[in-house]
Amino acid sequence: MNLKDQINSMDMDDIIQMCVHQEQQAIDLYTLAKDQARNESSRQKFQELIDMETKHKVALQNFEIENYIELPPADLKVTDYLMEPVLGVTMTTQEILILAAKREGKTATMYQDLSDHFSMDKQLSTFFQMMADEELRHKHDLETEYENEFMPEG
Amino acid sequence: MIREKPQSFNTVALKERLTIPRQSMPEQDPFIRSTNFFEVNLGLTPEQAVIEAQRCIECKKPTCMDGCPVNIKIPDFIQLICKKDFLGAAEKIMEDNSLPAVCGRVCPQETQCEEVCLVGKRFEPVAIGRLERFVADYAMENGNGSVKETQIPQPSGQKVAIVGSGPAGLAVASDLIKEGHEVTVFEALHEFGGVLVYGIPEFRLPKTILRQEVANLEAKGVKFIKNFIVGRTMTIQELMEEEGYDSVFLGLGAGLPRFMNIPGENLNGVYSANEFLTRSNLMRGYEFPEWDTPLYRAKHAIIVGGGNTAMDAVRTAKRLGAEKASIVYRRSEEEMPARNEEIHHAKEEGVEFLNLVNPIEFIGDDQGNVVAAKCLRMELGEPDDSGRRRPIPMEGSEFIMVVDMVVIAVGNGSNPLISQTNPEIETNKWGNIVADADGRTSMDAVFAGGDIVSGGATVILAMGAGRKSAAAINEYLKSKVGSSA
Repeated sequence: MNLKDQINSMDMDDIIQMCVHQEQQAIDLYTLAKDQARNESSRQKFQELIDMETKHKVALQNFEIENYIELPPADLKVTDYLMEPVLGVTMTTQEILILAAKREGKTATMYQDLSDHFSMDKQLSTFFQMMADEELRHKHDLETEYENEFMPEG
Repeated sequence: MIREKPQSFNTVALKERLTIPRQSMPEQDPFIRSTNFFEVNLGLTPEQAVIEAQRCIECKKPTCMDGCPVNIKIPDFIQLICKKDFLGAAEKIMEDNSLPAVCGRVCPQETQCEEVCLVGKRFEPVAIGRLERFVADYAMENGNGSVKETQIPQPSGQKVAIVGSGPAGLAVASDLIKEGHEVTVFEALHEFGGVLVYGIPEFRLPKTILRQEVANLEAKGVKFIKNFIVGRTMTIQELMEEEGYDSVFLGLGAGLPRFMNIPGENLNGVYSANEFLTRSNLMRGYEFPEWDTPLYRAKHAIIVGGGNTAMDAVRTAKRLGAEKASIVYRRSEEEMPARNEEIHHAKEEGVEFLNLVNPIEFIGDDQGNVVAAKCLRMELGEPDDSGRRRPIPMEGSEFIMVVDMVVIAVGNGSNPLISQTNPEIETNKWGNIVADADGRTSMDAVFAGGDIVSGGATVILAMGAGRKSAAAINEYLKSKVGSSA
């Protein structure tokens, strides 16, 4: 069964739980990477990503659709054309930022696709739109940080 | 504290001063200089310097000093130039700045002292940088380089190790030797000066100037040791415990090149700006074959970036014989972080500017040599936090450009060696050393300043940080004596 069919058979609470699970997977991945990272600056960056995903997870658990304000951020596309780094113990902060921004971008695309697919269901479509915007906002913040630190003269 | 206004030696009436045009800097002809590595700017003549100094309107509340990160007494030295006391003017600058000949050449005065000069509100500002350079050069030529020697201080019996001989390290050395401490500067490379020597080309900052500045410090008692990598040759702990240094200053700079993480960056012919400029500046690749440092003479060299480093690299490529040398920058000229003067000089020398273009891949031949760059066109979006408009890729705008040399000049980071070998020194997520406003690090008796703390910045900001650290180190050493007495 593909994701869209699965969602068709779920109620709203199940869908939120599925997204919470998605966030938890990211937290687990970044925690593992942080524990194995060889340098302190990489550990600090992974911790920031864990904190960001944790905040998102908590926000999802307390989600109320009427509180959603539509404010899609701009997609800067700074990392879209960069090589995707492989998660590993010797990752640099630059590679971590690229990896995280690309992950957020892919997840945003997935949620946007779901929002478009369920456009007939206002609640579901709005929920996925909110998720897409949130992921894109993370990508925007990560890419801003990337530009400031890694391309100050670029 | 209210500053006392310096005695005026300006003989020109106030109203007339504003009618004097800003004195232009004599420089080598662009066509000729693009084929040599001699200095581009030739310096003001004494007559020009006096005329330029006479443009100062002697403000009651001079703002120029606030614009200078080390608060050089600008109104005072300008009046001494009006008096034609050029050595006196140099001494006045050196009360606050130990490298005036360097700063007079590479400081971005247009965004510092000259930006806030009140003459500049309606006319062109007083050319403070050109005047600084003039008196510093005059002192080197006529005052034995060291101007008035200060009294030799009583030895304190305490030793300070300075790691790195760039602007921050030299500023610390200059201030601490005056306090009677035994000061040793450790340099990893085979020549002193840090980024000033490996990063800035001869045509902007002749090496003889730096050698003279180092010689001045040596004459005052500073010891210089080269080819010594702190963290490898000896650790900080070993310097303190085995060599008896009471304090250590870390002024390592930001010498780690940033790459773009796009395909093809490992091809032959793709350089970091650091490598390219070091090969030319420090290893004297521009004097091949007299100096045996290989540097490729390109048909079409592209330099990616829009800062001063990119301008240095593209102008170096041109001088090395590139048939075509281009800046490839993903924003427009308005957003370029390079100094206007450098952009202007590059254009005069025939450099091509490809703005709103960003490489996304470098393509190689079967020998692994770069032969082309795949680029995207960009358009400008909303301004970012720095106020510069953001470049946004235009999808479907890809095009191929034939190139045989690429230099990546998008920025620099900090070298991780010290943080790797000294985990007790706290660093931030970018690898910069965490230090307070006076340069104190998390390790007792160890201070840090300049680019290793702030990330890549200007020479004068590094010197300012060095001076603050020097004052803090001096206090620390005094308190150490006090507590052990």
